[in-house]
Amino acid sequence: MSERMQQRLRYLAFLVISILLAFGIGAIVLAVTDHEPLAAYKAMFQGAFSAPRHIGDVLEYAMVLALCGLACDLGSRVGIFNVGGEGQLLLGAIVACQVGVWLKGSPTWLVMVLAALAAIVVGGVYAFIPGVLKVKVKVNEVITTIMLNTVAALLCSYLVKGPWQSSSKYVTAGTEKLNAQYWFGGLIKGSKLSTAIFAAAVIAFFIWYVMQRTSRGYEMKLIGQNPRFARFSGLRNDTVVILCMTISGAICGLVGMFRVYGAEHIFKSGISNDYYFEGLMVAMIARYQPLTTILLSLFFAALKIGAEGMQASAGVSNHIYLIIQTIIIFFMAAESGIFTAIENRRMQKAARRAALARREGGTDNE
Amino acid sequence: MNDILGRIFSAGTFQQMLRSATPVALAAIGGSMTEHAGIMNIGMDGMILMGAFFAVLGSFLFQSAMAGLALTLGVGLIVGLFFALLVVKFKSDEFIIGCALNTFALGLTGYLSDSVFGASGAKGNPSLLVVRLPFLRKIPFIGTVLNGQSILVWVTVVLMVIMWVFVYKTPHGFWLRASGEKPETLRTAGISPERMKWIASILCGLFCALAGAYLSLGQLSGTFSKGMSNSRGYIAFACVIFAAAHPGKAYLAALMFGFFDAIGMRLQAYVSSELTQMIPYIITILMMIYVVVRQNNRRRAPRKLQGMAKS
Amino acid sequence: MSEPVVEFRHISMQFPGVLANDDISLTVNKGEVFALVGENGAGKSTLMNLLYGIYTPTGGEIYIRGRRVERYNPKYAIDQGVGMVHQHFMLVPSFTAAQNIVMRKEPKKLGLFYDNAEAIRQTRALVEEYGLEVDPTEKVADLSVGLQQRVEILKALYRGADILILDEPTAVLTPQETDELFAVLRRIVAEKQMTVILITHKLGEVMAISDRVGVMRKGRLVNVKNTSEVDQRQIASMMVGRPVLYEALEKTGTPGELRIEVAHLRCLDERGLPAVRDLSLSVRSGEVLGIAAVEGNGQSELIEAIAGMQHIESGSVKICGKDVTNRSPAEIRAAGLAHVPEDRLATGLSAEASVGENLLTGRQREKRFRKAFDFLDRSSVARYAGELYERFDIRGAGVDAAAGDMSGGNMQKVVIAREFNFDTPVLIIAQPTRGVDVGAIEFIHSRIIEKRNAGCAILLCSADLDEVFRLSDRIVTIYEGRVTGEFVTDQVTREEVGYYMTGAREVAQ
Repeated sequence: MSERMQQRLRYLAFLVISILLAFGIGAIVLAVTDHEPLAAYKAMFQGAFSAPRHIGDVLEYAMVLALCGLACDLGSRVGIFNVGGEGQLLLGAIVACQVGVWLKGSPTWLVMVLAALAAIVVGGVYAFIPGVLKVKVKVNEVITTIMLNTVAALLCSYLVKGPWQSSSKYVTAGTEKLNAQYWFGGLIKGSKLSTAIFAAAVIAFFIWYVMQRTSRGYEMKLIGQNPRFARFSGLRNDTVVILCMTISGAICGLVGMFRVYGAEHIFKSGISNDYYFEGLMVAMIARYQPLTTILLSLFFAALKIGAEGMQASAGVSNHIYLIIQTIIIFFMAAESGIFTAIENRRMQKAARRAALARREGGTDNE
Repeated sequence: MNDILGRIFSAGTFQQMLRSATPVALAAIGGSMTEHAGIMNIGMDGMILMGAFFAVLGSFLFQSAMAGLALTLGVGLIVGLFFALLVVKFKSDEFIIGCALNTFALGLTGYLSDSVFGASGAKGNPSLLVVRLPFLRKIPFIGTVLNGQSILVWVTVVLMVIMWVFVYKTPHGFWLRASGEKPETLRTAGISPERMKWIASILCGLFCALAGAYLSLGQLSGTFSKGMSNSRGYIAFACVIFAAAHPGKAYLAALMFGFFDAIGMRLQAYVSSELTQMIPYIITILMMIYVVVRQNNRRRAPRKLQGMAKS
Repeated sequence: MSEPVVEFRHISMQFPGVLANDDISLTVNKGEVFALVGENGAGKSTLMNLLYGIYTPTGGEIYIRGRRVERYNPKYAIDQGVGMVHQHFMLVPSFTAAQNIVMRKEPKKLGLFYDNAEAIRQTRALVEEYGLEVDPTEKVADLSVGLQQRVEILKALYRGADILILDEPTAVLTPQETDELFAVLRRIVAEKQMTVILITHKLGEVMAISDRVGVMRKGRLVNVKNTSEVDQRQIASMMVGRPVLYEALEKTGTPGELRIEVAHLRCLDERGLPAVRDLSLSVRSGEVLGIAAVEGNGQSELIEAIAGMQHIESGSVKICGKDVTNRSPAEIRAAGLAHVPEDRLATGLSAEASVGENLLTGRQREKRFRKAFDFLDRSSVARYAGELYERFDIRGAGVDAAAGDMSGGNMQKVVIAREFNFDTPVLIIAQPTRGVDVGAIEFIHSRIIEKRNAGCAILLCSADLDEVFRLSDRIVTIYEGRVTGEFVTDQVTREEVGYYMTGAREVAQ
């Protein structure tokens, strides 16, 4: 148990150091490009926390990141890597949106339930395909899902310029706007935060519970750790892996629905800017642990929303956020490598010293 | 119908095919090196993007396309070294590093583009030489296809042949392949497989930088736009997989991709370009399924042993 | 008269957590065949890898022809004339034999390009000189194991080696190939004055070919003798520290009904080659059927096919009367089978998971562990795991520690504890004591017999012939995927079984 504690502490220490270093490097980049780093970081902090609406935006984005990250956790727990969340999210969003447009005039609950179901089904099916290809044909799921992302993006782009295009002349590439009665209720005025976050919280809790506390979650972990052993012990790996992949996609689809019904109320290109990839990287930094994923989502959401505020108030390009985020990832991904490099050097030295001491001791005895 | 076929098989289509294929081919040749060295390189998209940006930056700062090319190759070298440091030296997960590299490139080029060029971006910088050969103009079809292409289109073909020879006809090429297929073999021969992996990463960095330079300095007149690599790195990766990391076959795969891209552009009047643009991606997936199924079948067949034991 | 070629002086090698070599001093002379013997993990391969420069010793020095080794890397060792044929061949499968042989010193055209014709010519010259027949143009992947080994030896010779290390060279060879290899070794020692260091644990080979023998145990060199002055029994007792004297185990009861029935089974190995060919056997309740076979003769595929981990091409498997041919492991387990696999790390457990979780696996859906809402009750799991931990005398850092951090013997006990505790009517056990210390072996053996006496049908497969003889009621020998003989244990000698194992005699069933 203490060894596990030790590992956790090491992880935490490395995370903190990585974040500090990333901000340090970010400061250098800022300074080189003629910005005052401290002022920029202050603007960033204010951009995230200075007003309730900012905090609302942070929470909304944290919800997106956390659900995407958890969707990724779900796959990686059983050894399949869902990189296609972006496409699943987009398709879920556009189909959910269109359900609302088609059923205009129907009762609110019916529209929202059907929209959510549609998003789940579309996202799920879009993940099911690479899942089956991976399990049954052994096609690398990373590459297929990446390809399917682009296909989904192109399909959405086609739909909003073609068959599902808005009749409003102010919208060039987007669907019809949703009737306001179908929106998730806003929680903080001026922010994108909506009651969708409660649904998201329930889902997040559910995923955490299944992964960490149930016997099914335990079986999932076995499959991910050693699939051969899992099969040997009588688990049906293939089914579980495909199921997890499908659920992962369904969650992404639902995130798309939340984005449309909670925040944007229309499907347009800004519905997701590689949000899933950011969630995926958060999950990776969190070592695919659900609880850590949720906590880190809050951190990175604050970073992103803060960076947007900073761009508006201090005129610094918000792309600095991506730089800081990826530097943290580089460090965290290299963690064990750096650690072993240091450890090896220390161990070699210690062993050599010990051997030397022993030999000298030996000659003394003679 | 005849009209459609006429458009598909016109000289313009093939001209466009070469244009679309060249950046993908360059990246795919670079990706073949890392693939041979046993590294799954998903970060080519970011490498291309950085290549595109720094080419324009150099061209903008020194008002010379050659300077742009030099700068971007320098950056490509550094990116390759950085990739190798993380993946080879620190043994990090190459997928995560590749993914992060793509996002990092998006952030870095976006940030620097905003800071250096401003919101409107940089336009009208010196671009790379365009080759127009008088004698080619006289040949009807081929003349239209080949004339007026960027010098990099020609350079790519030369580089493809060089890398082909390097991988399959020189001792260092053998070592490179061995470093991915069976690194212990090299180690016991007194050659460091890590060194070959470093070399592969650097080569990939350089080739992707060239691919980026072609995008920004070769096609349009020295313009950089955010995210302009536009998933070409992933297509290049698919080409690598399809070609089993053979530079020549990777070039052909890139041509195929370029062909479908070109058809999409030529048929816009009939079909939405988004739908035709999907074709290469779907083909890539089908391609992968085909390759894997063929590999599986080959493994089943008796006495034929799999040479490339990948993933 | 004896001129030292290699000297180890006070060599130590410390790996994280393991002292693989402990203050070893040893001299090997020119023109001799020196055999280095010891059990798995005794440190033989480590010592030779140091000589070959794969590792740098953490203490002591090595001298080659009187010169101190300055740098520990293979390049330096090769330049000093050291060549090594590794246990797992260091060959690139997609390259030709010639390409592999000339690696690092490829002949070149125009100073740049690989000269294929010259490489083939030089390889042919070596083939002629040493009588090691190999086609240089053949792809290594298409060569048989014996030929691949020749390529390895040729590679070392091409590099100018006159000190040749062979790490368990005969483990993968047929008896005929072994004879040929030894003939070659004798020839190069006699004619070329080369020095051969042979790592092995087959004592018959030590007697057959070596001039001197060094015995290692637990990282230390315990003895060096002239081979002519010792016999196998003496070497064996040096290897294990004390003579292997198994006490007879008390076997009770008589065999009952058929529990495992394998009929005309055919399977392919992972390369798509036939591994099991028309094999039939059966096991009754209350008996142990032992499989005696040299590694790689299809016994692994047979075991896995019965357990549902391997595709069956044709034939059938019945467990307790139920046809389970090509069923999933889950269905076969439900039919009444538990399985201790041959490779515990690859198949038998999850190294990352805790000991407790590994002990639980397979029972996670039982009511006592699974409460409402699929909740996994960790306290009942801990209680159950703790009880097994005690009962099977597992020693480690407790049930919460990662299974992968334990010693091999304790890992094996975890697997055995879990599988035995299913209380199934059928058990298949592969390599029950591989890499397990002596104390644990005794424990595991008595558990197996306990199961037998309680009426379990047990199929046992082991590379250790002593083990097979001690535990089995009947023995079948398997050679190249076929049953070559079937014996009642009390009525056969191990020499006889060894004879059938190597395919020397085949009997009509």
